[in-house]
Amino acid sequence: MDISYQIPRAALIWVLAAVVLVSIPQAARMPLWIAIIGITCVVWRVLIFLGKFDYPGRWLRTAVVICTLIITLTQMRNIGLGLDSAAALLMLGFVFKLIEMRSKRDVYVVVSLCFVMCMVSFLYTQSAVITLYITSCVIAILTSMIALHRSQAETSTRSNFWLACKLGLQALPLTVVLFLVFPRIAPLWSVPFQSNSGETGVSNEMTPGDLALLGRSSELAFRVQFEGGPSPMHAALYWRGLVLEHFDGETWRRTRPGSAYAEAAQRADFNLDWEDRVRTQGGPLNYNIILEPTQQPWLFGLHLAQRQTSSLLQSRNFEIFNNGLVNKRLSYDLQSYTNNQTDLILLDSARRRATQLPEEGNEASRAFAAQLRQSVNSDRDYAFTVLGHFQQNPFFYTLNPPLLGDQRIDDFLFNTRNGFCEHYASTFAFLMRAVGIPARVVVGYHGGEYNRFEDYMMVYQYNAHAWTEVWLEGEGWVRFDPTAAVSPERVEIGVEAALSEDPSFMEESFFGANRFGGVGWMNTLRLRLDALEYEWNRRVVSYDETEQYDLFARLFGQVTDQKILLLLGGLASAVVAVLAFIVIRGTPTKSSDPVNRVYARLSRELDKIGLPRQSGEGPYSYRDRVVAARPELKEPMGTLTELYVELSYRQYDEPADKLRQFKKQLLQLRLRLSPLTR
Amino acid sequence: MFSLNLDKQQDTRTQLVENQYSEMVQVTVAEVSKALLGKEHQIRLSLCCLFSGGHLLLEDLPGMGKTTLSYALAKALGMQYNRIQFTSDLLPADILGISIYDQSSGQFSFHPGPIFNQLVLADEINRTTPKTQSALLEAMEEHQVTVEGETRRLPDPFFVIATQNPVNLAGTYPLPESQLDRFLMRLRLGYPDQRAERELLEMDTERDKVESVQQCLQLQQVTDFRKRSAQVKASSALLDYVQRLIAFTRSHEEFHFGLSPRGSLALMRAAKTWALMCGRDHVVPEDVQTVLPAVVEHRLRAMSDEDGHTGAALVQRLLSEVDIID
Repeated sequence: MDISYQIPRAALIWVLAAVVLVSIPQAARMPLWIAIIGITCVVWRVLIFLGKFDYPGRWLRTAVVICTLIITLTQMRNIGLGLDSAAALLMLGFVFKLIEMRSKRDVYVVVSLCFVMCMVSFLYTQSAVITLYITSCVIAILTSMIALHRSQAETSTRSNFWLACKLGLQALPLTVVLFLVFPRIAPLWSVPFQSNSGETGVSNEMTPGDLALLGRSSELAFRVQFEGGPSPMHAALYWRGLVLEHFDGETWRRTRPGSAYAEAAQRADFNLDWEDRVRTQGGPLNYNIILEPTQQPWLFGLHLAQRQTSSLLQSRNFEIFNNGLVNKRLSYDLQSYTNNQTDLILLDSARRRATQLPEEGNEASRAFAAQLRQSVNSDRDYAFTVLGHFQQNPFFYTLNPPLLGDQRIDDFLFNTRNGFCEHYASTFAFLMRAVGIPARVVVGYHGGEYNRFEDYMMVYQYNAHAWTEVWLEGEGWVRFDPTAAVSPERVEIGVEAALSEDPSFMEESFFGANRFGGVGWMNTLRLRLDALEYEWNRRVVSYDETEQYDLFARLFGQVTDQKILLLLGGLASAVVAVLAFIVIRGTPTKSSDPVNRVYARLSRELDKIGLPRQSGEGPYSYRDRVVAARPELKEPMGTLTELYVELSYRQYDEPADKLRQFKKQLLQLRLRLSPLTR
Repeated sequence: MFSLNLDKQQDTRTQLVENQYSEMVQVTVAEVSKALLGKEHQIRLSLCCLFSGGHLLLEDLPGMGKTTLSYALAKALGMQYNRIQFTSDLLPADILGISIYDQSSGQFSFHPGPIFNQLVLADEINRTTPKTQSALLEAMEEHQVTVEGETRRLPDPFFVIATQNPVNLAGTYPLPESQLDRFLMRLRLGYPDQRAERELLEMDTERDKVESVQQCLQLQQVTDFRKRSAQVKASSALLDYVQRLIAFTRSHEEFHFGLSPRGSLALMRAAKTWALMCGRDHVVPEDVQTVLPAVVEHRLRAMSDEDGHTGAALVQRLLSEVDIID
């Protein structure tokens, strides 16, 4: 290694820029101290270049490596083995490599790592914005590679950049072709996502406070597009997720905990007896949902949804499940009959599950329920009386409810009276069950934001909602939303309106849906960006094996193994042929001077009879050599050489005229040569 | 080493244009060839050197005809010439001249040395000490000498043809690069080919061949030639080629050092003269290629060089790797 080797200034600047660019998406999701270490290393490297600092010594480097290992190991113990900890280790190694980047070889390592970091970004998200961003990163990396290989005097920074852009553009057609035809190979290994950070959205149990947490997040949950016809009213948009039937006094769960049988039964596909339990009126509503990854199996849809995508399952409570966890964006089609009645006859087992309550606890509420039930005639009236109770008494809808004591229902009903939707749903269902009316809590999302640019709806995490379903004689399961009684605008307009005064609403998001909702163009920009993402997901990210297969089928008819093999073989031989052509022909001397260009053509013509001009051969020497080998070419070669010398070295007054003459002569020579070459 | 030169000899004939200049050269070459058989190309190059106003260094083994060529050239050009035999005990004053006290006039009078001639033959220049060498080389560069505080101009034109033995022979003081650079060209004569050798052996050994060389050029013609050659046109395409050649010597690792601006100027000057000697008013790449070995070989040195004789190989690389079109 040459100790005195200095990485060229332009190359260093671009390498550092590329490093910073590719690190930003990583740093954003990693602990702050990693970003600080990264910045320190970049600054250190700049100081080394300026000669103000030295490369780290052997001991410091060893210490840094040991520290990194220790930190990473503890990280792994704290947040578990998975993508996050691996990415953090990679990131640390990456930035530390900067400060010992001395020779060209080190720069290559850093540049390769930059590409790896780009790929790591795609492991987390493949959105249009990040794709654009990574593309610009790749351009920066390419520029640094070019700058590394061109001498300082030769080029300016700008020309390096344009060359990189040109290279990127040249690679584009190949990228598109590879994207379309490259086999989608199932991953050889899977990357475990961290269990705590991976799961998002509503979960299969509900403790008061859970949904309020989601209310602070403006992350997207899913996007919906209705096929034909207007989308339903905002108030009717209850995106049903899970039905929670088991209450232990604190938490609502789907099943009794620890019951493997119940778990299995609920996941089983009950689609077969669907017809017997359901009565529908009116036409169906067709729509497509693109769900963001949740790391959970359950899906969302309007009630009463019939699956249109074959891989989905439906439980006996009409919940919809994916076959496996949703660990990447999932698109599925549903058909809903919004005007429906289900389970007009309730089975005993179902009734037992829907009236289950803990043996004791919340006695005041139970007494209150019994007393209230006495005062009315029917279950239906009772339900409405309870809603009326919420409406007439000072109950408040807030994201920041006070802590509840042991007797949660009692405490909420009589003391605090401040709660989010889950408090109301939970209390309402309890009050129903307390008097033996079958009731259950449903969690999901409510509402959504309409995007007029691509005609679809966006449902965010803060749209998470909980409501109840009560079984009434002769009506089946009826949806009751106690939140609507407390805060009607929550249902009519949306959670944004209901909580616009609440400071903790979406406090975790910067570019939240409504933070800038008041600023018109910001909102338009946000909607446009989301529309772009939507199209990107539908057309690019969701392009998978099936769509690939469809494309093949459309292009080549029925897809057979032979055809695929032929196509791949054809592509491979085409690539080899092009490469061979380039290699055999050598680098064609493309001169900017028109005179030199036509003179080079003369050489190419004569190459056909094995007499190309050799490198460094002057025009007269070339003429003499050709004439010596082919005396019959004496006259045309003499004329052409004279013309060339006049054009190039004598600089005749009328070059255009001479050039035309030269081309004419060249054509004649070609005609003369054609019988020879054949 | 000489194969290229012999090849180029053929080229020279084919790119000739008949006019007064090429004829003049033709006659002179024929005249000098009487004394030195079968060395037309080398004679042509030496004429090119002198017509360009540069000094010539002839380097070869003893007995190859270096001195004969110098004498023949001097006679053919009709110049007033003198020969200095360099030995290890030669002093600067022996070349430049010395002031001697004249008793009759009671004054010091300057007795000019052999350097005060139009053509100086510095025989075996590397046999003398660096001190004496540098006295000569300073005169070559500045066309004047300073003796005892008085500066005296040398005659015009002033040419030096120096000869030297290859430096690895015993008892020599090799010229340093800085002084080699002062010579426009360095030529090697090489063994005569078979035909010339036979002719030489058949000739009357008693007769002095140099004696038979007649003056065929007037001094005025030489000066004219020099003026006219400066007007030869070098197109931008040609300058591009020359620049590529120079850049090649400066950017490639095999070259210990690149060509200096003095070297590139020398190359252009020699190429222009060569073009005129061929009867053309414009330079073509062949002109540059023909003079290139003689002009730059002694100015280049390979990275791995020890005795300064790797220039030829480097020039071959230049010729074959730098193309005439970009």
